[in-house]
Amino acid sequence: MLALVRPDSWNLPLFLHVLGATLTFGATATVALLGFAGLRGDPDRAVWLRGLAFWVGFAVLVPAFIMMRGAALSIVDKEYPGGHHEPGWVGVGFIVTEPGALLVIVMVILAWLARSPKSRSAVAVPWLASILLVGLAVAWFAMSAKPGS
Amino acid sequence: MSLYQWLLFFHVTGAFFLIGGIVIAGILNVAAIVKNRRPSEVAALYGLIRFAVPLIGAGLVLTLAIGLWLVHNAGYSYGETWIVAAIVLWVVASALGNIDGKYQRQTGELAQRLAVEGDGPSPELRARLRNPQALAVSYGSGLMAFAVLGLMIWKPGV
Repeated sequence: MLALVRPDSWNLPLFLHVLGATLTFGATATVALLGFAGLRGDPDRAVWLRGLAFWVGFAVLVPAFIMMRGAALSIVDKEYPGGHHEPGWVGVGFIVTEPGALLVIVMVILAWLARSPKSRSAVAVPWLASILLVGLAVAWFAMSAKPGS
Repeated sequence: MSLYQWLLFFHVTGAFFLIGGIVIAGILNVAAIVKNRRPSEVAALYGLIRFAVPLIGAGLVLTLAIGLWLVHNAGYSYGETWIVAAIVLWVVASALGNIDGKYQRQTGELAQRLAVEGDGPSPELRARLRNPQALAVSYGSGLMAFAVLGLMIWKPGV
């Protein structure tokens, strides 16, 4: 019920956090779609789709992820200054986004390499994006339902 | 977990589906219009947009149905400013999205037909893709969904 009583000054970072999270979800799903579509069919078409997957990852997913994570840190600093008495659901967010950040970096690098017709990294990109989607779903369950609180 | 927690989870899930679907469709739409692409390329991108449609549909249903249940469960009044504004924006965004969906489906069908008929540059396809009125409807409906997200956070009038 925290949402009902939070101070006004928390609204902007919360909005940016949720906006960043939904953009991250949409961009990751787009990378997965383009990545899977880029694994089959005409080779020239496949390379073009994989190139688009790289650009979506680089130009949309990375900024959205930074917005989500940066705003989350801002809210945690306001709500739990010094990191004291953080509930478990806050920890879930860190557990998902810290390896998630690494996953995004690896995925974007592999997507960049996958623009080459002979690249073997193309197979990994949509699957990494799918793993990130599962992680995001776990995080939004923890952030919205706040189990244990 | 309480009923409130489950309702909030499903409501937020609806928001993720809705806005996530809008983002997928928006990115693929931008990818189709930023360059003079061949009809087969436009058809390929529009073919992927169809995966966003059920996501947007599920998001619309979950956000409204669970949202109305949440209003009752959390003890808000259905007449509060932010709730009325959110419902109005939801209805207008849905109506615009429906108009846009039909237009985009016809554009995808045109791109598929042109791809089969030689895949050459088509002024008709380019005009449809960059139609300012269609773009206004498309991006207007998407921005309204983001505005609803803002209303859910700030709750003006509370």
